[in-house]
Amino acid sequence: MANERLKALEDTEKEIASVLQCAGNIVLELSKDKPNGSFLDRQLVQFQTSVNRVENELTSQIRYLTQVATGQPHEGSTYSARKDCQMALNRAEYAKVKLGELGRTCEVMLEQQQQQQQQQT
Amino acid sequence: MTTQRVLPQSKETLLQNYNKRLKDDIKSILDNLTEIVKTAKIEDETQVSRATQAEQDHYEMHVRAANIVRAGESLMKLVSDLKQFLILNDFPSVNEAINLQNQQLRSLQEECDKKLTSLRDEIAVDLYELEEEYYSSRYK
Repeated sequence: MANERLKALEDTEKEIASVLQCAGNIVLELSKDKPNGSFLDRQLVQFQTSVNRVENELTSQIRYLTQVATGQPHEGSTYSARKDCQMALNRAEYAKVKLGELGRTCEVMLEQQQQQQQQQT
Repeated sequence: MTTQRVLPQSKETLLQNYNKRLKDDIKSILDNLTEIVKTAKIEDETQVSRATQAEQDHYEMHVRAANIVRAGESLMKLVSDLKQFLILNDFPSVNEAINLQNQQLRSLQEECDKKLTSLRDEIAVDLYELEEEYYSSRYK
């Protein structure tokens, strides 16, 4: 939900750039000796569409914020779940270390046994 | 949703300020572009000489173009401020993000503990045999 609103604001930024681009194209075309009328019309329509879109989008965002904003800071946190998860991962790591030690102990014992058998033969 | 909410003065003022900035910047862009297009029209009769008029029009267009760019940048700044305000004060989406993160962390923790428990059960069987072997050997 938050991502959609932020994405809409990013699209609005691109729309603002498009507004300036259209304005620049219009002025550039007017500076020519023989301006192309249809090109000017197209650019003007696009300019007006973009300006309306920017205004509507920003107005709706401000209206939404007027409805949901309180004066208070948000005090939610994920600390407890994060701590529990971290402890679970620590438990798993500890079990891995202990199993590793057990495995190494067994290997050492087996090697010693094999060496003794070889010495006897 | 048309419920009347009492916002703190600072938040109310801030949002009104955002509205004002939006309207001013849009108005500035539209007015300045309109004036540039009007100025682009060549007049047959001018009060001053053509060269002076041309120079004046040139300067005016420069200033108005700069105004359009300034208004565009001001709109960009407004969008940036809105994004910041949204991240800090949009409680429904902050709550949703926190709940989602908590769910993911809890499910990871449960999966981890489940696997550890099944590992414990498997190793308990092998450990029984190892203990039998160890305590009946000469190394105990």
